[in-house]
Amino acid sequence: MVERVFVTGVGVVSSLGLGKAAFFRSLEAGTSGISSVSAFDAVPLGRVRAGEVKGFNAGDHLTRAEQRRLGRCSAMALAAARMALTDAGLEVPDVAGPRTAVVLGTTMGEACILADLDREWILGGAEGIGRAPVSRYGSTLLSIHIARAVGARGMVLTLPAACAAGNYALSFSADLIRTERADVVITGAAELLQELQFSGFVRLAAMAPDKCQPFDLNRQGLLLGEGAGLLVLESGAHARARDAQPLAEIGSYGISCDAYHITRPHPDAAGSIAAMRGAIARSGLRAEDVDFINAHGTGTKHNDAAESKVVREVFGDRRVPISSMKSMLGHCMGAASALEAIGCVFTVQTGIYPPTIGYETLDPECDLNVVANVAHRGKSDVVINNSLAFGGYNAVTVFAKPGVLPPPAMGNPGARA
Amino acid sequence: MNPRAVTGVGVVSALGVGREAFFAALHAGLRATQNARVESFDASKYDSPRLAEVRDFDAAQYLGARGMRTLDRLSKLLVVAARQCLHDAGLKTAGAWAPPAVGDSAWAARVGLVVSNAYGSLEAITELDRVALLEDRRYINPSRFPLTVSNTAAGYASIWEDLRALNVSVSDGNCGGLDAVACADMLLGSARADVLLVGGAEAMSEPLFVAFRRLGADFGPCEADASSASGCLGEGAALVAIETPEVARARGAPVLAEILGYGTSFAPPPHSGSLLHAAPEALAQAIGDALLDADLPASKVDLVVSGMSGMRAFDRAELAGIEAVLGPRPPIVAPKLALGETLGAGGAMGIAAALAYLRDGACSYAVRGAVRGPVRTAVVTAMGYYGNASALVMRAASG
Repeated sequence: MVERVFVTGVGVVSSLGLGKAAFFRSLEAGTSGISSVSAFDAVPLGRVRAGEVKGFNAGDHLTRAEQRRLGRCSAMALAAARMALTDAGLEVPDVAGPRTAVVLGTTMGEACILADLDREWILGGAEGIGRAPVSRYGSTLLSIHIARAVGARGMVLTLPAACAAGNYALSFSADLIRTERADVVITGAAELLQELQFSGFVRLAAMAPDKCQPFDLNRQGLLLGEGAGLLVLESGAHARARDAQPLAEIGSYGISCDAYHITRPHPDAAGSIAAMRGAIARSGLRAEDVDFINAHGTGTKHNDAAESKVVREVFGDRRVPISSMKSMLGHCMGAASALEAIGCVFTVQTGIYPPTIGYETLDPECDLNVVANVAHRGKSDVVINNSLAFGGYNAVTVFAKPGVLPPPAMGNPGARA
Repeated sequence: MNPRAVTGVGVVSALGVGREAFFAALHAGLRATQNARVESFDASKYDSPRLAEVRDFDAAQYLGARGMRTLDRLSKLLVVAARQCLHDAGLKTAGAWAPPAVGDSAWAARVGLVVSNAYGSLEAITELDRVALLEDRRYINPSRFPLTVSNTAAGYASIWEDLRALNVSVSDGNCGGLDAVACADMLLGSARADVLLVGGAEAMSEPLFVAFRRLGADFGPCEADASSASGCLGEGAALVAIETPEVARARGAPVLAEILGYGTSFAPPPHSGSLLHAAPEALAQAIGDALLDADLPASKVDLVVSGMSGMRAFDRAELAGIEAVLGPRPPIVAPKLALGETLGAGGAMGIAAALAYLRDGACSYAVRGAVRGPVRTAVVTAMGYYGNASALVMRAASG
């Protein structure tokens, strides 16, 4: 028998607030987390808007020693991990030991530490760089810091899967539990808003001037964001043994690789279609079982058109409600699909579909049932989380109300994706 | 894990490019040419750096001249290793996919990539930072920007070699190459691919060299054998093709060896101020778990292919971790003394080296005991710099 995998706690550091309650309130209200960037002077770049996290103070969540050891990206991740454990009703002694793993996603990790080191080196020479910050760079550290803080002694791993990193981390973590390599996994993803990355997206002409408007006819591109979304995953046996109330069950996932272009999605979208169909079939479901789609929805011409094609292909004439949280958060890169996974947990819990704010004009190329501007209520037994990333990395995960999914299987349930 | 058949190798290393060149160098106990001219960056301002680079590496020789400009050094190393691995495993011939022997769908949709890397985007980020700082942020080259994302090399490998089943990048420092196998095992277990290319890649660059120098990383002789050569920082890419024994049989692929077990663990440093940590107890736990996973007693282990690289504190901890589980008996080899510390590729280089020992027995780089006679079972070990450690159990192909 393969273990079921449950989400029993979530933690959030985001431009929509800190912690589950604030995040959920904002998703329901359709609040915008977009503001003018304060971390660096963006004005000369001609773009200034982003989903920057402004209310986060590491000292509120970390010990002094941790504040010295951790960069801002890890600090956000650790703060969110602590919130997720608290939300799950778990304390450090409950999870300390070899049966707890930590698996995180990110795209650039501690990008600000590297930027500072590069500045010292390039402007001041190799002898000018600090020794301590060198050891604080490296994306592996994200999971190491959290494992250390919570006493996890099992696998520590970072999955750099660009904008699908959160979904990759979740999927891999669920498999660790299904294959009995762990009982508890602290997972999710974290990403920083950073100057070079911001400049790069401006140079790629991918960034909107003011608003991110996924699926809208007049969408002008993405906005960047930052934050951390962490989840506590537990095996059914572990959750039952402590009478934990699961927030959602994680179904299977679908992954594929376009093998086409490093930044653009494949025009025929075969890989994305296979990933979405695979996620559904491998969870023992049919397309008609899906109640809501938490879209990748970046707000770029290419992505939204490709994603729309995928959704129409998989769901046919059935107009499943779909929405993109990136309209509120911006694109938090590696952290995006982790924060969106927490959005899926929100929908499963409350029956509320978060809105796509700033949606004005229907694009015939994106003729979907977009949850426009105001949250809707509806059936929420099964929701899926799309990520169609840079590098052609596609990953789709499934979230369900506990009790809805058929028993999981590890082998091949007849679908390949 | 379930037994996984290894059916091919692709390796681009300081000890040679391609399976047979690499194996032959391991037999002969070749040393990578250190102190020669550094090729991956202009090292003229540094005092004779010792680095184990892939010498005279010309990716165009393997990939053709087209499209080379968009690839960075890491992508080139990885794409060449992937191409070689596919050919060595019989999945491709002269650049074209073999006809499907299992099922009816084409190989491209059934072959994927799981690759470890630790510091992949360092070179590109530094290159763009230089433009941003010395000129203007508005002048950074958008075509180089994708290289700042650390899984881009893996993305390029999938594009160049048409690997569509899946593409997973992992990062766990020196342990990532072994962790990639655990990841691949689960992906094969849920039938997400028929064959996976699994391993790691790391490229030498000036920022990587400068960072290790600044950390005072002092590579000397191996702790287990003071007479061994001194280690150094290195680069390369190594991938192995793994699949279920059933798929290997069905497509008639010769099996080079089997992977039977995996273990990993993390142990934090005792002091709150420290970050770098060599943890013998983590490695002992990882080796013990890997043997349990393989259902083999410690007495069956014929050889340890260690990750010792000449960094004193880490070599010492690795030796202690190995001895805690396997005692003083099995010989230990340290191929990194010749290959260099290739970080994210390190575990994968260990796996590739283990294939040579398992096939041919006696090889070089012993730092404790001597490798005599056939090697049936090998443990591959990796020590991270933060208290993380992983281990893998491999067995020679039967008959």
